Amino acid sequence: MTLSIEKIIESYVKNVTLKQMIIIPAIFLLLSLSILSYTYLTTGSPVELGVEFKGGTAIIFDSPKTPDELKAEFRGYPVTQAREYGGQERKMVQFGTMTESVHDELTKKVNSEYTNVEIRQMGEVVSKPLQQQAVRAIILSFLGMAIVIYIIFRTFIPSMAVVISAFADIAFAAAMMNVFGVLLSLGTVAGLLMLIGYSVDTDILLTTRLLKRKGELNEKIIGAMKTGLTMTMTTLAALVALYLVSSGSYIISSFTRIDIIRDISMVLIFGLIADIVNTWTTNLGILKWYMEKGKLREKTIEKPKKRRQTA
Amino acid sequence: MNEQEPFYKNARVILLIAVVLGSLVVIMPSYSNGEFHTNLKYGLDLEGGSWLQLQLQGVVAQVDADEGKIIQADFGRLLNDPAIRIDEVAAESVTFTTSKDTDKKTIDALGYGISTISKGADGGTRITLQTNKEYLIRKYLENSLNAEVLPITGRFITVEIRKAVTQEEVENSLKLVDGKVIPPFRVGVSAETSDLTKKILEDKLNTAGFKEIPIRTVGDNYIMVDLAGMDMTTARDIAAKPGKFEIKIQVQGNETAHVLYGTEISKVDPIQMESVRVAGATEKVDKWGVPFELSDEGAQALRDAAIQYGAVTNPESHYLSMYLDGKLVFDAPLDRELAKNIKSVPVKTLVASTGQGDDGQKKARQLQIHLSSGALPVNVVVVGSGQVSADLGEKFKEQVVIAGIIALFTVAFVIYFRYRQPNIIIPMLATSFSEVLIILGFTALVGFQLDLPTITGIIAVIGTGVDHLIIITDEVLAGGAMPPDKVYKSRLTKAFAIIMAAAATVVIAMSPLLIMGFGALKGFAVITIIGVLIGVGIARPAYAIIIQGLLVESSDKKFADED
Repeated sequence: MTLSIEKIIESYVKNVTLKQMIIIPAIFLLLSLSILSYTYLTTGSPVELGVEFKGGTAIIFDSPKTPDELKAEFRGYPVTQAREYGGQERKMVQFGTMTESVHDELTKKVNSEYTNVEIRQMGEVVSKPLQQQAVRAIILSFLGMAIVIYIIFRTFIPSMAVVISAFADIAFAAAMMNVFGVLLSLGTVAGLLMLIGYSVDTDILLTTRLLKRKGELNEKIIGAMKTGLTMTMTTLAALVALYLVSSGSYIISSFTRIDIIRDISMVLIFGLIADIVNTWTTNLGILKWYMEKGKLREKTIEKPKKRRQTA
Repeated sequence: MNEQEPFYKNARVILLIAVVLGSLVVIMPSYSNGEFHTNLKYGLDLEGGSWLQLQLQGVVAQVDADEGKIIQADFGRLLNDPAIRIDEVAAESVTFTTSKDTDKKTIDALGYGISTISKGADGGTRITLQTNKEYLIRKYLENSLNAEVLPITGRFITVEIRKAVTQEEVENSLKLVDGKVIPPFRVGVSAETSDLTKKILEDKLNTAGFKEIPIRTVGDNYIMVDLAGMDMTTARDIAAKPGKFEIKIQVQGNETAHVLYGTEISKVDPIQMESVRVAGATEKVDKWGVPFELSDEGAQALRDAAIQYGAVTNPESHYLSMYLDGKLVFDAPLDRELAKNIKSVPVKTLVASTGQGDDGQKKARQLQIHLSSGALPVNVVVVGSGQVSADLGEKFKEQVVIAGIIALFTVAFVIYFRYRQPNIIIPMLATSFSEVLIILGFTALVGFQLDLPTITGIIAVIGTGVDHLIIITDEVLAGGAMPPDKVYKSRLTKAFAIIMAAAATVVIAMSPLLIMGFGALKGFAVITIIGVLIGVGIARPAYAIIIQGLLVESSDKKFADED
């Protein structure tokens, strides 16, 4: 079994051309970006916003009633949505903004009539700045990561390769959130930031092994792939376990949905799936091209005008 | 290599073991009465409870205006004289002339400054006010915005307006006196005000029986309050609805008259139970009540009102009622005995009786909070809130433990699949587990609350941790066998170069969360960052030494077998 995986890695490294390597992730990235732009054009933000960012109240509780019945039951309040929410009888009802007294009345009612109640309320005064903060956090985090990467490698193209594949990971994860109806919450923002820091792990491994080690290129790639894929697989396996446990009744019927764990693990799962593709195609492709180009240049007559690369 | 000390005597390994043991001591797991106890603190989402995010209503702005215009505007209105003439504006005084007749007492009572009055040269009254620009602007804004306005010390005239006003409103008001707002106009309150509000809230909640209430101020105008074991409705009632407290007296029917404000209440004692004989009953009944004390002025005001409206002679038809933000929170007639006393002398110590049994006790508690805190310096608005009921929190807690265990097993399975050597797998899992213990020990040590985000953070750190252990393992075992010590060291250095780089990106990427989202995900970020640092600083170096030791031993055996 292990042997066969090694063989697959070997034949992949030896047989797949650079062009083939780049085309798949390019399609992935294009697809992700079009999904994000489509959502942006239709909803006004690249990812659909949850209560924390939109403002309003979400109440989650156990009830055998159907979402429609619940909608009718809460007719007196500004219900915007009612839906199944994992678990056996878990339901979520969302409301628009209310005055404090109406809100009090509502929470009193829910707390006295239902069990396992979770309430999240966010006023627009907070949710609007929170949106900006989230955007700023993601940009800052990404820039910070890019700077660290540049400091580590000190060469432009390899650093760019890492940053591009990290960007593709995040774009894919965000696009998949739209596809699977995961809303942007504080949890998913945390997941995205985590992904920014985490998805570059394998890229760093690959780049270090290729640039800073001696040895035959393909051998080094195979070695890096073995380590890198083990890393990603381990993490993915743990995340899938977390996702299943936090999603509610898939495994054990008494399980209930734990949003923050589910959100973070879901974002990371998408991100890491994309990371497998991007690290071993995009990043590897660019690096390989860069190294072979470098080799060519070393062998051909050096042009004195151009600044020589400080290897 | 073999002549060297065994791996378990290496300083790094000893450090790891010491820290793990230390963490265990701090966490102090124990088992008693069929329950598992630790020193770990759990957050609201695991214990059940509510949190509130309160916005303090106020703005801070640097302002400017013309003193003369303010005098003309305000005194024009107060003295009903549209033609006030400004004679002189100095740093500490303003002199003006009005055509109206007035005296020092009237002017001083207006509160704009101490005055000197003289006859005007060409008729009317000439008034010199000892005042200054800052004071005049504040007075002007207080009147025109109907809000409390406080100075903020500094080089420029900066004020805190304790009301949710917009920049436009302030601009419009100042425009009338040739003034303006000098940007930036900041929504929020001064640090002192937010601190004071926090203290009063703390006091309020302490009275309600909360010993340690995590109240934290976020930014200039937000306060976050966590209330364990309390549903949201009650939480909002207690924390978010403080306001102006007022005692009124019934004049006739529905008509009431003001007696005093909460500021005249000087002291509130803990609630008490008294045995009282109710009129007509033979037995005494236990009644709950809140004893409180009035200031001298308060006691006088109560006496004046009670006498004026006849409550001293006929208390039953002149109820005293207590209002909080205009809402009735308590009303009762004066006790007959008390009524008699008040008639002759101001009474400072009073008891508000709330009734019998649990209900009376509950009411007494609420009333005590209202009485003791009086008003917060600024109005607060609930802008965000959340609740996890206790049963749900319990469920979350169980499930999180299960999630952690399942995740650990999955990781174990995958690395078994890859390495198949217990000498690698066991140290790897042990290292990961020790990282968990150290992080938990850290949280117990600094009193950090474990909530769902922080636990997710711990799991994430373990994820990256295992990855790093894989990097170390693969790096040093490149080529399949344990290399000689010298090569091993150089390979390890390379492995750590990768690990450090990876750790740095995680730390940097997570750091925006430290300040974002009103601190909601601060726990997650802090734990991730601390966890990564513990990992690269303590656990992973030790792991490198341990596998070197274990693998050398096994390859030695192999050698012996081959021999």
